[in-house]
Amino acid sequence: MSRGRGAVDPKRVSSELFSLTYGCMVAQLLKDFENPEEVNKQLETMGYNIGVRLIDDFLAHSPSVTRCSTLEEVAEVLCKQGFKMFLGIVPEVRNWSSAKDEFSLVITENPLAEYVELPPHCQDCLWYSNIICGVIRGALEMVQMDVKCSFVGDTLRGNDSTEIRIKFVKILEDSLPAGED
Amino acid sequence: MAVCIAVLTKDNCPLYVATDPTEDALKMHFLVHTSIDVIEEKLSSATAANDPRDLYLGQLYPNEDYRIYGYVTNTKIKIVVIETISNPLKDARQVFSQVHSAYISLVCNPFYSPGETITSQPFLQTVTALMRGKAIA
Repeated sequence: MSRGRGAVDPKRVSSELFSLTYGCMVAQLLKDFENPEEVNKQLETMGYNIGVRLIDDFLAHSPSVTRCSTLEEVAEVLCKQGFKMFLGIVPEVRNWSSAKDEFSLVITENPLAEYVELPPHCQDCLWYSNIICGVIRGALEMVQMDVKCSFVGDTLRGNDSTEIRIKFVKILEDSLPAGED
Repeated sequence: MAVCIAVLTKDNCPLYVATDPTEDALKMHFLVHTSIDVIEEKLSSATAANDPRDLYLGQLYPNEDYRIYGYVTNTKIKIVVIETISNPLKDARQVFSQVHSAYISLVCNPFYSPGETITSQPFLQTVTALMRGKAIA
């Protein structure tokens, strides 16, 4: 490649490698499943599996994060610390619903989607970065919050901004495993 | 101002040929085709030791109306730029490096397989702007 790279911290991975890896994965999923809706579901499931593991790593590396008592605090920690730590971006929190149980995350620069152009047959149905929705859902589920998370717009699809809508459903009570009473 | 920019694979298949609408497209295609021979000759005669990567081949051969420049990347993708003598390019090397950068961005798209004909909008726009002589930021 004609772009130069300076000395690299051995623990960090180049963001181009990360984008290319994610891109190849989405392209392969598309070839395997052929249906963009199915690919969206798979990405969400993969994200969920990542999220349930990532939350422990995040909490271990952020001792300053305390228990959140409101959804606003959750949104704040998610954007300013969570996204910052793992993707290096800070999304904006916007469009709170009147009941304060829903909000939007607006991502300006999506590192997953660098250089990506969607093929025409996926232009209207594939959410390229759907893995992020899964990660958020998985991570919040491990801290006893049930949320619904989905994309409402993506610059790759020609929308004005990349926006994720997060809706709080309920707090998860610790339930006894099946079979015990 | 370039009148034609062409990108060819290592097997000399055309990936993309853009010609200025004022010129005869067929003639441009023909000139690009004939320049393939000259590029191959230059590549085979140059030894590996003294060639830098990203070979800028310079002017390939003289023609009464046009100047034809060649450029080969280290993955053997060939870029050919044709300009008119009356309206010469200020810096052919810069045009080549910008086409090369656009090609790199194109290849990084996970949905593009190398070897497919180029239909990507950003790439087409970059090349069209270069043909009009506008520098890319």
